[in-house]
Amino acid sequence: MTMIETDTSSVPARILQSPKHWRNRKAASHWRSGDEEFDASKFGMWLFLSTEVLLFAGIFCGYAVFRLLYPEAWANGSHYLDWRFGAANTAVLLLSSWTAANAVRLAQLDKQFWFKVNLVITIVCALLFLFIKLKFEYMLKLPAGKAPGTFFSYPMAHDPHEPLWWSLYYVGTGIHAFHVIIGAIIFAVVLWRAVRYQSYGPTQYTLVENSALYWHIVDLIWIFLFPLLYLIH
Amino acid sequence: MSQDTNTTANSNLDWDSNDPHGINAHDDDHHGHFIADWRMQVGVLLALLLFTALTVGFYNLEQWVETAFQITLPKWINIAGAMSIALVKGILVAAFFMQLRYDKALNTFVMLFCLFCVSLFLGFAMIDLDNRGWVEENKAVEIQYGGSGAMLNSAPADEAYSVTLGPKVNTAGMSLVHYARLHGNENEHGLLYYREKGKEAEFWAHFYEGHAKHRDLLDEHNFFDQMGFGHHVEASDANKSVPRHGLTPGLFSDVEPTADGHGSSHGSAHGSEPEAESHDDGH
Repeated sequence: MTMIETDTSSVPARILQSPKHWRNRKAASHWRSGDEEFDASKFGMWLFLSTEVLLFAGIFCGYAVFRLLYPEAWANGSHYLDWRFGAANTAVLLLSSWTAANAVRLAQLDKQFWFKVNLVITIVCALLFLFIKLKFEYMLKLPAGKAPGTFFSYPMAHDPHEPLWWSLYYVGTGIHAFHVIIGAIIFAVVLWRAVRYQSYGPTQYTLVENSALYWHIVDLIWIFLFPLLYLIH
Repeated sequence: MSQDTNTTANSNLDWDSNDPHGINAHDDDHHGHFIADWRMQVGVLLALLLFTALTVGFYNLEQWVETAFQITLPKWINIAGAMSIALVKGILVAAFFMQLRYDKALNTFVMLFCLFCVSLFLGFAMIDLDNRGWVEENKAVEIQYGGSGAMLNSAPADEAYSVTLGPKVNTAGMSLVHYARLHGNENEHGLLYYREKGKEAEFWAHFYEGHAKHRDLLDEHNFFDQMGFGHHVEASDANKSVPRHGLTPGLFSDVEPTADGHGSSHGSAHGSEPEAESHDDGH
């Protein structure tokens, strides 16, 4: 195996000699090559991502059906939401998607420091997204009675189907926020392994690639949830 | 196929008859993977942020036009504007950040097939919505754009949402409490109506009708029980879901057993004299 020429003089031997260091990791024995392992893993990730799209398709379909049936409730519903928080969250997710894509590129180029910096920014953006969601949306709306379904008690509602709107809003954004939490946890694992073992480099970055793909699909779904919930009325 | 088109590292020089496709010819350090150009990634990020600003600007422009010129724009403008920009953003993310543009076509195919399934899913749901009348004529009226769904006979779930939740008066922007103070008790549906002596039962009967599904949240002082309506909650319970006639007659009979041995009728509680004492004893 040819060593890839990079400066490793400042890396402690404990990390360089770890079996989890990217230079010391090899494809599992049942693969012909690391490339094949990578491609298969990525293909599996895409299959999983397609099931994620189908999961959210249920919510989009529910949105479409109920919007056609109860257009007044849906128009009122989107007016209850402040587009500024939705747009802020969109920008936060787009930025984190960029840093996730950066992290893949920097792992491919073995730029360990900036790779870790981009992972940290991605995680911080995920937490910022959740903070905005909870602090400025959920925690303002739920006490006001703008709650899903049977929990609805907002006294100034104008349409009897507004509880249905809030059900769809909380289920859609809630499942999405759940995905954001999962993504942040996965990136935290990647960051830990990168800090502790330098596990990811030019020949070994499958988990970085796949978690970035996962993060991009979370971003992609928000790209559609944002106009559907906040902008269309 | 000529060997020159093969992109693997060292297969163009020596052809191995045991490995004609060069599968084992890879070096471990060889990677034909696409490494994105950072300038391209920055450009895509800026484009995405620009499109976000564009869709928000389009939304605010519509709002401004509607208020400034006192018109109502057709809904398809709103939908087409927001969703077409979202589609462009989605394609940018998938093609460049997710690198579908540089990746194996198989991955793109997986996602396109998935989107095809989604379109079937959405499309058949829409066809179903539009053609309920073909199956059951009475559903043709309400299952339509702008329908309330309130006339559907066979939809118990829908009743949960046909409760009138909002204020029954137009307060013209002022708070309900302020409005009720201004109008005293003259509005029979007003907030302060129950303050009239002797009208409490009537008020709570009315309140109960309007808020049957939200009783737990709204009746925090348990007024329903005090006023004698405690046994008329319409929420689903075991009595309704399991027809156990004869096994537990106390749950079904019209006569409510009480502590002093006398029964009180269910039916008389609604809208007539409250029976607070007997119910309190019964529990």
